Amino acid sequence: MEHIRNFCIIAHIDHGKSTLADRLIQACGAVDDRKFRDQILDSMDLERERGITIKSNTVTLEYIAAAGETYQLNLIDTPGHVDFSHEVRRSLMSCEGALLLVDASQGVEAQTVANLYLAMEYELELVPVINKIDLPSADIDRVSEEIDADLGLDPFEAIQCSAKNNIGIDGVLEAIVEKLPPPAGDPEGSLKALVFDAQYDKYRGVVMLVRVQDGVIKKGQSIRLMHTGADHVVEEVGYLKLEKVATGTLKTGSVGYVIAGIKTIQDINIGDTMTETDRPAQEPIPGYREAKPVVYSSIYPMSSEDYSDLTKALDKLKLNDAALAFTKVSSAALGFGFRCGFLGLLHLDIVQERLEREFGMSLLLSAPTVKYDVTLTNGEEVVVDNPSFFPDAGDVERVEEPYIKASIMIPEKFLGSVMELCREQRGEKTQFDYLAVGRVEVTSEMPLAEVLFDFYDRLKTVTRGYGSFDYDALDYRATDIVKVDIMVNKERVDALSQLVHRDKARSRAMHYCDKLSETIPKHQFKIPIQGTIGGTIIARKTINAFRKDVTAKCYGGDITRKRKLLDKQKKGKQKMKMVGSVEIPQEAFIAVLKTEKEK
Amino acid sequence: MSSGGGAGLYLHVPFCSAVCPYCDFAVVPADASRSARYVQALLAELALLGEEELSFDTIYFGGGTPSALSRADLESILDASRRSLAVEEDAWLALEANPEDVDAAALEGWRGLGVNMLSLGVQSFQAGELRFLGRRHSPAEGERAVREALAAGFDIVSADLIFGLPGQEPESLRDSIRRLVELDPQHVSCYQLTVHEGTPFHRRRQQGRLLELGESRQGELFELVHSELAAAGYSAYEVSNFAKTEDARSRHNQKYWDHSSYLGAGLAAHSFSGCRRWWNEPDLERYCSRLERGERPLAGSEELDSSELALEAVMLGLRRSCGLDLERLRADYGIHLLERNAAIIEGYVEDGLAVVDGCLRLTPRGLAVADAVVRSLDLGLV
Repeated sequence: MEHIRNFCIIAHIDHGKSTLADRLIQACGAVDDRKFRDQILDSMDLERERGITIKSNTVTLEYIAAAGETYQLNLIDTPGHVDFSHEVRRSLMSCEGALLLVDASQGVEAQTVANLYLAMEYELELVPVINKIDLPSADIDRVSEEIDADLGLDPFEAIQCSAKNNIGIDGVLEAIVEKLPPPAGDPEGSLKALVFDAQYDKYRGVVMLVRVQDGVIKKGQSIRLMHTGADHVVEEVGYLKLEKVATGTLKTGSVGYVIAGIKTIQDINIGDTMTETDRPAQEPIPGYREAKPVVYSSIYPMSSEDYSDLTKALDKLKLNDAALAFTKVSSAALGFGFRCGFLGLLHLDIVQERLEREFGMSLLLSAPTVKYDVTLTNGEEVVVDNPSFFPDAGDVERVEEPYIKASIMIPEKFLGSVMELCREQRGEKTQFDYLAVGRVEVTSEMPLAEVLFDFYDRLKTVTRGYGSFDYDALDYRATDIVKVDIMVNKERVDALSQLVHRDKARSRAMHYCDKLSETIPKHQFKIPIQGTIGGTIIARKTINAFRKDVTAKCYGGDITRKRKLLDKQKKGKQKMKMVGSVEIPQEAFIAVLKTEKEK
Repeated sequence: MSSGGGAGLYLHVPFCSAVCPYCDFAVVPADASRSARYVQALLAELALLGEEELSFDTIYFGGGTPSALSRADLESILDASRRSLAVEEDAWLALEANPEDVDAAALEGWRGLGVNMLSLGVQSFQAGELRFLGRRHSPAEGERAVREALAAGFDIVSADLIFGLPGQEPESLRDSIRRLVELDPQHVSCYQLTVHEGTPFHRRRQQGRLLELGESRQGELFELVHSELAAAGYSAYEVSNFAKTEDARSRHNQKYWDHSSYLGAGLAAHSFSGCRRWWNEPDLERYCSRLERGERPLAGSEELDSSELALEAVMLGLRRSCGLDLERLRADYGIHLLERNAAIIEGYVEDGLAVVDGCLRLTPRGLAVADAVVRSLDLGLV
């Protein structure tokens, strides 16, 4: 155990986490150069392309330290985004230490701080690493100061490197061995292993990623997952060295994988504790939390014939995404679809993109919404995550909505506009602290629903991209929510209904009317587009009728051509969504959601 | 009013002295030897038609420029038609001509052939617009041609106008229409300029060297055409066709719109009978050489099923002032159009786009968006 180091790299997005992981892997010779590719731990195309890690991964490296001894380094690669903070937590729980990576020109960002706090919560030993030191814009002095002031870490301990250009990587490896502690645990005790993530393999079923705390895992052993209570037999156990290497046992303090004949990801709980059936541990590893969806949206296939394909695609995605929850819904305007729960907007975005790219689906999504607690006048309490089921205004006694604590780090000069932005987003208790000269952290308690709409976009605009943002869930608070309906040519489009704070209802309705009037093509009649609350019009736009759409000549040869064109257009229309006599193209549904999704 | 009970014969003459940049018809630049070879081929095609128990009561020389052929050529083509086909004695005859081909001798010749309707490609009375369209005649020539044709005593003199040119102002279109109606032809066709694929205009537009008139201005001009001509006593009997009296309508063209039978001979000509449509080779060389080998120059055909016929019936019916006969649609295709589309049609009537009186008829504003109206209607077809 003395020669094991379990560690992760925590960093703000784009600070070079995947590149540093690549260099460490190469330096330890875990992969020969022919097979190497960038971001080697990110297996999904989407991860590689967007430079984000979605699923946790782990790699076991063998490192011969300067002193000549061989160490087993287990690098646990964690998702960096707030949506996946439950996965981050579990990954952190399987480590003793972390490299805290900071970009030499960008400095400390909101996510760096948030992850630092998380790491401190799990009492990890931290080594600051300043990356990209060879960039012309690198400012090592300033970043060192931030490490001291914002993170409370010793800047003189910081390792300087450039992962991209392979500078200082040995220093990083030596620091892992020197400064991070080995795991502690009882080799003789009952097995206690944390299932910190799982992957789905279509041939082998569920591959659990585990960190052994006490005892050992052996092939053939009967194990029990303490939260689900289910028993399984270990079929295969070993290390992940980019590929699975079966070893027959996994010792105390190690990180590796276990295959135990489990069919689907839904059969296990990520974060569960694995123990042995014959000699179960007294207590599971503490800190287990279920991943709960916080954002809801309905997904419809663009063409109703594709509903069964969507069903299959979601089922497949769910195999590898335990957090994805969905139930069948139907919309008068859009037909059958699914109401889906997500961990956050990025999660939603990723699911949508994977459905579109990996499964070739063409989709319509309704506006994301949070979960509201509604108390009715008759005392009954209901939870509403779908505008369609929001009770009549007359029956509502009280509504509560989820609040978050937002943490926004910005250069000082944007303070005024960010404070103003927080106020507009219904922020409460908005405060700021100087982190260093010229750098401020603004904290604000605001409704999660506000973040869903256009917060990212606006923050980016007012800080010209220099602001970083993170949040933590707080509690539910009383609010004044109304249901805004959108009427197209006097017909309600149920999929566009949304729950909005009363003060924002008008501007939101106007935004929808504007976007729809820009994207719905002209028809041969005028189309009023209205936003209403309980039948009262609060916003309105009109799409004028077009005046000319007729073929000039229609003689012998023109007729076949014209008929074929009409036939094609009529068929094309089936791909449009018909609301009454108005054809609404997919772009219109996308456009109204646009500001909510851009980050 | 009706196109008559008989079939129509269309004879295509593909030659033009210069090919207009907007034209997508089967046309080639005129050339004496090519022209002679083509006439021989057309005669050969007519000889091969022995066709069908059809009886023809209209003949239409279209192009291209039929006026580019000599009287003798036209006469031999007519004779060949009469030899092969059952052409009625008093069959109605129409011929298209370019203003620059109109002179006393030509008029005399066409009268002698028995031409009832002479259709002149006047296009515009604005010199700039004619140059833009690549036409070789001047406004004065256009005016002279109409005047002389009228004096020559044809039953119907028709003039074509093109509108909706890039940058066209309502004033210039109004001026062309007024100069035309002052001449008092019996029939007027007013076509919106359409940029078809494969034409020089299309290439220019793709290269960004040809602007397009905005949709709302197009609509304005379309309405201007209809109101100006109505005020001058011309009633629209189709989207682009206007006549002073019912007798002055194109008997031949109406056959295209009510699924009457028609036979087309010549390059790329289309034929229709019953539920079949077929068409000739559009390539001049292949058209001629196939006939020289004694083959019929067919290029393709289609068998229309009842849903295709129904869609055509709706699309063609709505282009006409007499409208879409709802009872006939129900009887022929089992389509209950009003019932299926009650709300939409009611909306059209409310908005002044349509009238329902046993027929579904579009008003001039409705005609302007006839294609969209067809697309919006649910015919209940699969």
